[in-house]
Amino acid sequence: MQASRARLFKEYKEVQREKSADPDIQLICDDSNIFKWTAVIKGPSETPFEGGVFQLAFSIPEQYPLLPPQVRFITKIFHPNVHFKTGEICLDILKNAWSPAWTLQSVCRAIIALMAHPEADSPLNCDSGNLLRSGDIRGYQSMARMYTRLAAMPKKE
Amino acid sequence: MAAAASTSSAAAPGSPSGGGRRGPSAAVACSCPICLEGFEDEAYLDTCLHSFCYECITQWVSIVASKHEDPLSSVKCPLCKTESVSILHAFDGKSFQRHYIEQDPGKRHLVDAHQLISQFYNTREISDDAASVLQYWKQRKYLRKNIWLETWLRREIQALTQDENVEAIVYHIDGMIESFMKAQEKLHASKQTSPEHTREEFRSLLSDAARPFLLGRTARFVTEVELFLISQRNIDAYSRVRLQRFKESASHVAREQDTLPQDRPLEDHYLYLLNEETDCVGGVI
Repeated sequence: MQASRARLFKEYKEVQREKSADPDIQLICDDSNIFKWTAVIKGPSETPFEGGVFQLAFSIPEQYPLLPPQVRFITKIFHPNVHFKTGEICLDILKNAWSPAWTLQSVCRAIIALMAHPEADSPLNCDSGNLLRSGDIRGYQSMARMYTRLAAMPKKE
Repeated sequence: MAAAASTSSAAAPGSPSGGGRRGPSAAVACSCPICLEGFEDEAYLDTCLHSFCYECITQWVSIVASKHEDPLSSVKCPLCKTESVSILHAFDGKSFQRHYIEQDPGKRHLVDAHQLISQFYNTREISDDAASVLQYWKQRKYLRKNIWLETWLRREIQALTQDENVEAIVYHIDGMIESFMKAQEKLHASKQTSPEHTREEFRSLLSDAARPFLLGRTARFVTEVELFLISQRNIDAYSRVRLQRFKESASHVAREQDTLPQDRPLEDHYLYLLNEETDCVGGVI
């Protein structure tokens, strides 16, 4: 408990110090609870998520960093490895391939990489996975782009 | 499940990806990747030598172990995923501790006799019979090859390095000793140096050969090798003699009321060995 708090505080200080280091990721710690974080990430360019801004919710276990943080998308996203309703993310490093050397920042980077490189063979979102697996890249991209516009872009007046 | 490591742009944990990030690499290098603080009892994984706090890495090992049904025999490095079988820590410039991932010592190959040897090296050096040392060099007794030397060296070095696989070191040191003795043999009588000089030369060559591997234990090791050669005994017989020496030193220490922490355990270990001496010594060879 104490160890995880100390480590999260370290990460918090690092985030404050390096605010401009990675413009695609913004990590915000909950004011009253260091075990709850929110991240805002930018959709990677040359993907259907480009131009979108996605919110992630981090819930960090007391044994962190020995156990991985729980992360899910708050913003709706059409992606084979993200559950469409719950926002749950299927990513090995958040489960059995976790290493305590990962940080919240590097987890965000891994998620951005996952957005650019969907893994259609282990889908949480079957519709999205099936489009990719059947080779309908155009269909996948236009669906994903539509949801990015609907959910991840600021509404224009 | 998507694998982060397989995607080209995924960041490796702990290492900033894609450039652009400034500064933190220096901070990363001198802090533990698990707690992100400065090292406390810096510990190294034995294959990749990535370092962590001893407590942090052992906690991680126990988490990994709790997820496996079978006891672990190795652990993946949190930074590079290389498998290691042990954690090295408490390095004080002379020696270090080795924590094996495999908790069952029966499945490791270093046994009791090795532990006794390394305890032996922890006690003070005992001045042995100086006359027989001199005689050995004077009468050129080294010309008679001790066929047990290689096996004896292997066990000593295994005990000192706490490592099972020491073939390269044994080969190196045994080769050095053998070629020194051969060179002595070929030396023409007129060119022979004084026995004291030959001895000094031998000791300095041996310590140069051993130092990279044995560090602070080198001087003592050199003395032990010399004593073994002088004894001209086989391993079994020599071990008995050394045990005797060991006992005398232990009781000597006790008389002086020296505060050697290992006083009792050493004595106990020794008594137990006297009874089952042959078992213990013979079993290893």
